[in-house]
Amino acid sequence: MKSVQEAFALILIALVCGGLAYFTHPLAPSFGIDELSINIEEVQSEAEVFWIDARSDEDFARGHFEGAILLNEERWEELLVDFLDRWSPSATTVVYCSSQSCMRSHEVAKRLREELGVEDIFALKGGWETLLETGLAKEGDE
Amino acid sequence: MKMLARIVYIALGVTFGWAGVAKLIDPSAFLSSILTYEVFGYVLAVAASLFVPYLELCVGFSFVTGFLRGGARWLAGGMTVVFLMLLVQAALRGLDVDCGCFGSEAKASETGFLWPISRDVLMLGGLWVAVICERKADRKRES
Repeated sequence: MKSVQEAFALILIALVCGGLAYFTHPLAPSFGIDELSINIEEVQSEAEVFWIDARSDEDFARGHFEGAILLNEERWEELLVDFLDRWSPSATTVVYCSSQSCMRSHEVAKRLREELGVEDIFALKGGWETLLETGLAKEGDE
Repeated sequence: MKMLARIVYIALGVTFGWAGVAKLIDPSAFLSSILTYEVFGYVLAVAASLFVPYLELCVGFSFVTGFLRGGARWLAGGMTVVFLMLLVQAALRGLDVDCGCFGSEAKASETGFLWPISRDVLMLGGLWVAVICERKADRKRES
């Protein structure tokens, strides 16, 4: 019985710390990603789309969506210059990473929204895997 | 016996503490790792990415210091069994998971599942040894 009480005490401490981290940690994930996410059907209904590939340099080199430019957090400052040169503010900007489980696209979309003050930037649900599954992209595309 | 139990607890405590710190440095990276297991929904995964690192840190601290160690034993055993089940189901489903055990790591397609699963089994074994040694030492002291 004492052990169970001790376990609950430790769980409580961890819950409090986790709660504090949610509000204070600079890299804490957000519960609300729906406002950032966009599915492929919604993207296809957009008149003009500007694509960003948020994967690693190696993945981008292996293949990427036609017309997409590379912008990842590893080389943010360097790649942002190229992005700003080519970005069209009138287009809907869609960021993708490798799959449903990756969060790179959300981080890039969130950061671009904050730095550019533009709301029309989204992270593609399912990422590169969805582009492959829907036939919009093929392995090795450039 | 008591000394052996103490050494194993410290080793386990350092391992849990290290795992906790590695994860809490970048909770978003840990979240990505959790999602690769394709078991949890997004909201639950976010909650886990914030909660699990601190729970590991608490368990590590308890094992090293002895404070609330009884509770830490249950939590360590429970967490390790859950981690093990997650790895085994991912291996059976052929998922290319990022273990995330000690922060963001290479994908299973590069590292395989053998080492992470062996590591968890080793930790469960260590915990069992520590508990048995501690009980034997307690019985000896009482008799």
